[in-house]
Amino acid sequence: MQYTVYTFEVSPLIPGNDLVIASLSELAFDSFQETESGVEAYVPTQFDTDELQNALLELTIEDVIIHFSKKEMEDINWNAEWESQFDPIDVDNLCRVRAPFHEAKEGVLDLIIEPKMSFGTGHHATTYLVLQKMFELDLKDKEVIDMGSGTAVLAIAAEKLGAKKVWAIDIDEWAYENAIENLERNSCTRIEALLGVEDLLEGKMADVFIANINRNILLAQAKHYENATKSGAPLLLSGFYENDVPALLEAFSAFEWKETRVRDEWTMLFLLRK
Amino acid sequence: MAKEVAGFVKLQIKGGAANPAPPVGPALGSKGVNIMEFCKQFNARTQDKAGKVCPVLITVYKDKSFEFVIKTAPAAVQLLDAAKAKQGAAEPNRQKVGSVTWEQVKAIAEDKMPDLNCFTVESAMKMVAGTARSLGIQVTGERPF
Repeated sequence: MQYTVYTFEVSPLIPGNDLVIASLSELAFDSFQETESGVEAYVPTQFDTDELQNALLELTIEDVIIHFSKKEMEDINWNAEWESQFDPIDVDNLCRVRAPFHEAKEGVLDLIIEPKMSFGTGHHATTYLVLQKMFELDLKDKEVIDMGSGTAVLAIAAEKLGAKKVWAIDIDEWAYENAIENLERNSCTRIEALLGVEDLLEGKMADVFIANINRNILLAQAKHYENATKSGAPLLLSGFYENDVPALLEAFSAFEWKETRVRDEWTMLFLLRK
Repeated sequence: MAKEVAGFVKLQIKGGAANPAPPVGPALGSKGVNIMEFCKQFNARTQDKAGKVCPVLITVYKDKSFEFVIKTAPAAVQLLDAAKAKQGAAEPNRQKVGSVTWEQVKAIAEDKMPDLNCFTVESAMKMVAGTARSLGIQVTGERPF
């Protein structure tokens, strides 16, 4: 996502910075970094509107002097350093998630992922848990939805496990473009990468539904998943902690609980559509 | 053996809103940390504080691993929240002038005691009340000291 940074000179810094951050957090700014002379405030460029500018010009805090300037940040891959040297991940003896610069492992499913600032390299416990579970399901000739697909690692695994059609959906532009690159890298032909949100689910019915995102988004989208999953079909949910499970089970009451799996506090739920 | 620290990064991010763009990206990416891992953890741990500013102190180790601590919101942020809850959301893009009670000031003072360098709740309350004044927020009710 493209961000704009506003650099604020604040005097005096204490309590000025706290006051500035508090006031800006009421606007569209979502993150802040304090500096030696004030604070840098970050806003998604799409929200950097005239209205915001006017609100800033009217911003006054008693006894605090404020000056600001702004510039647009580059939209580059900030994770490149880590991505250039990470270790491959072996999920049990089932598959290896690796970058193009790693060796493949004999006898296991090979998933080649060059992440580019997207989620899903197998390093995270949630990706690991979902991959592990996918191997226990029969995906042959199935239609699969991978919601919040990130690098598309799960979608790619689904195709390699025999799925006849996979929709890989993500809201993030970096993820969408990265997914397309990774599909090519793995010579996938039965996956359709889509950029967007839950309304893309309309008209689709999954034999297997997978969503590794986070609690709040899963709760918000529960009804949409319900409508896009065939009766009796499995739903794999992950991206949350064990203490989030009760809230999720309540929201996904159209599904029958089958299994909860935990790794490093992260949790995966395996449910069946009633 | 304790891991060797490569550096500290201090940011303030709204709960559930960490993403690999700036400031998280450049601050952590340059140290070789897996930004995606940080975002996923931070967002899961702050999912109940969506929209509220959470100060976070990240310790980055030489082996590119990291740990982080999330602190409670700054007194000023808590004051604005308290004032807003009382008067209801007015025009969202104008600076709000509202009021809070001394009980609310006390609750915030107690919450922020560890960060305020104050020895007594009373002195912490005075600092919080001063912050309220700077924000144009009135403190109502009987002054307890």
